Amino acid sequence: MNKEHFSEDEWKAIGQAIARLRASVMAVTFGIVGGLMLFVATTWLLILGPTGDSEHVGPTLGLLANFFPGYSVSWSGAVVGLFYGALSGAVSGFVLAFVYNLIVVFRKR
Amino acid sequence: MNSTDSKVRCVIIGGGPAGLTAALELSRAGVEPIVFEMDKQVGGISRTVDYKGYRFDIGGHRFFTKVDRVHSWWMDILSDEFLVRPRLSRIYYQGKFFDYPLKPKNALLNVGLMEAILVGLSYLKAQAFPYREEKNLEQWVTNRFGKRLFTMFFKTYTEKVWGMKCTEIGADWAAQRIKNLNLGKAALSMLAPKLLTGKNQITTLIEEFYYPRLGPGQMWERVTDMLEERGCPVRLEHRVKTIHRDGEQVIGVTVVDGDGNEERFDADHVISTMPIKDLLNVMDPAPPVDALEAANRLRYRDFLTVGLVIDSPELFPDNWIYIHSPDVKVGRIQNFGNWSPYMIPDKSTSCIGLEYFVQEGDELWTADDEALIELGKKETAKLGLIDPDKVIDGVVIRMPKAYPVYDHGYKENIDSIRGYTDKIPNLHLIGRNGQHRYNNQDHSMVTAMYAAENILGANHDVWDVNVEEEYHEEAHAEKGHGASGERLVPQRVREASPIEILNDAFAKYDPVALGGALGTMLGFVVFLATAGLLLKGGEDAGATLALLGNYFPGYNVTWAGSLVGALWGSIFGYIIGFVIAVGINVTVSIHLGKLLRRLGVLDGPIG
Ligand SMILES: Cc1cc2nc3c(=O)[nH]c(=O)nc-3n(C[C@H](O)[C@H](O)[C@H](O)COP(=O)(O)OP(=O)(O)OC[C@H]3O[C@@H](n4cnc5c(N)ncnc54)[C@H](O)[C@@H]3O)c2cc1C
Repeated sequence: MNKEHFSEDEWKAIGQAIARLRASVMAVTFGIVGGLMLFVATTWLLILGPTGDSEHVGPTLGLLANFFPGYSVSWSGAVVGLFYGALSGAVSGFVLAFVYNLIVVFRKR
Repeated sequence: MNSTDSKVRCVIIGGGPAGLTAALELSRAGVEPIVFEMDKQVGGISRTVDYKGYRFDIGGHRFFTKVDRVHSWWMDILSDEFLVRPRLSRIYYQGKFFDYPLKPKNALLNVGLMEAILVGLSYLKAQAFPYREEKNLEQWVTNRFGKRLFTMFFKTYTEKVWGMKCTEIGADWAAQRIKNLNLGKAALSMLAPKLLTGKNQITTLIEEFYYPRLGPGQMWERVTDMLEERGCPVRLEHRVKTIHRDGEQVIGVTVVDGDGNEERFDADHVISTMPIKDLLNVMDPAPPVDALEAANRLRYRDFLTVGLVIDSPELFPDNWIYIHSPDVKVGRIQNFGNWSPYMIPDKSTSCIGLEYFVQEGDELWTADDEALIELGKKETAKLGLIDPDKVIDGVVIRMPKAYPVYDHGYKENIDSIRGYTDKIPNLHLIGRNGQHRYNNQDHSMVTAMYAAENILGANHDVWDVNVEEEYHEEAHAEKGHGASGERLVPQRVREASPIEILNDAFAKYDPVALGGALGTMLGFVVFLATAGLLLKGGEDAGATLALLGNYFPGYNVTWAGSLVGALWGSIFGYIIGFVIAVGINVTVSIHLGKLLRRLGVLDGPIG
């Protein structure tokens, strides 16, 4: 491939394509990352144990229970967190891709 | 004609619109041409067949043109015989008639609430999970309309007409044909039609059209009479079997008549409307091998009409109906009485033409007439359109090479053929199959007018007649349908070009879209989180979340604060998304630049 292979117009077209996002792929990716993040964050606090004056482990992260019923900073809570993290990650990834694709299509018209 | 007077001797091959137009133009200028038509009647594809007084077209032929000269020509010849007909054509699918072009309200009422919901869901699914590649028609249409609408209104008819799967038809075709229509616009036109009165409105088809009282054939029969009156013979059942060439000139033709008698005619000029593929095969001496092989690679789509006479004065109000039902082979049904009442001799009966798009030699093409009439009866009965017991007569009309096919490589084939024919200045190739062009009568006629003028000394380029120029009214509507029409021909899916591969690998993110998406999401998350805590209530609810106020001025865990938070969330999300997209794009561009420089195709940075 060298310069002569492309016409002026084609030449200009390189790198001009706009990517689309695959909602399914984004959902799975964000789901895995979200689930693992909450799982690791919870288990990390459990391994560190109580810090400072507090007798409790992870009091701030524990507030997530407000949004994720059943979640707590405990070993069983880490598994529940894995599920919630994956679920909310998947939903976010899906919505993000969906809205992104919609805007791309809209702007192309 | 074998006489040796000083007049220009001009042989015209084919008594269709192009051949007869050229003949009349020449005779009006004092040249006496002779026309050879291999069929028993004139008109070519624009003929009207007479069967026991019932008149059938090869597909209904509307007389519509943007070329003033052609319009005046028509009016001059048939003036009072033209009818102005109202147009109605609808799509028939699963027992229901859908307006054509599609109208959302009518479509909704027809499909019912449940199906409409499924259509909506399938549209949402297509937006969420679009095909990454848009190489073929199916991917292109589905990404824009959803799979369900694609199946209902695009798939079956397109596959019937072109005999190719939608996955084999290149996406470019759809992009050209359907570009002006989208669901958003369609929905808007239903809810607020006034908003769409600008120039982008999806205009309706020409609601009326000109049509000769006795069909398009009447035009060409009249022109034939005029030629005969002027002493210019139109010889029917005379097939040109050889075109004689001497160096860079054609010098005459040999024709064979219905009884097998051969006769040679000398000529100073030969105008040919016969299929270009056949033309190269009758040249003597034979053309160079590459030109001949190129001609033999040209492909066509053929056409078959089953005419049925029905003992019922009225069937349906349409001129024609597109049949989208996948369980029958018929593609379109003409109701000739609605084109012109004069096409039907007995007013207590009706006459319809069932159109099948076929390939010469295939199962339908070779089936005997009785079997085809039976098939026609069975299919119309299955569709619920007519009572088969009321069919009192039938006839089959086969039209080979009705559609020249623009497949991959057809342009190169034409170039190769022209490399040979352009060197023969007194051989003039005109018309639809004569140039392998997908034109209507008007453009076929323009090429004929140009050729006649060239013989008289002008210097037109007959290949320069712009057939791709779409008819405004038609273009929009055909786009809406995406399947019929006589102008654009689909091409096969092709391999991705290096540019497309590069673009696919290095596609950019749209910063506004990513910003918009992340902004929308973050705005919602902050709102929902705040609202969730407020609804839950309790002492000191949301003390931690309220810390967001450090970044979002004015935010707190109250209902008003939830809105402020949503706004801030959107702004932050937008900025973050925008920056991420720009960052990715810059990185990708640097990589692309490096790659291209390494390949030696770029000197500086990417422009
Ligand atoms: C289904 C369908 C619908 C259409 N609808 C419309 C419409 O609504 N409006 C419109 O304007 N156009 C329409 N068209 C297009 C129109 O039919 C053509 O553009 C027009 O007939 C082309 O004229 P022509 O003279 O170039 O070719 P043709 O009509 O093909 O005529 C060529 C003639 O040459 C004769 N011939 C071939 N070989 C030889 C030979 N070796 N010796 C002697 N004679 C020979 C053939 O028998 C034929 O009669 C439609 C076409 C189709 C298929």
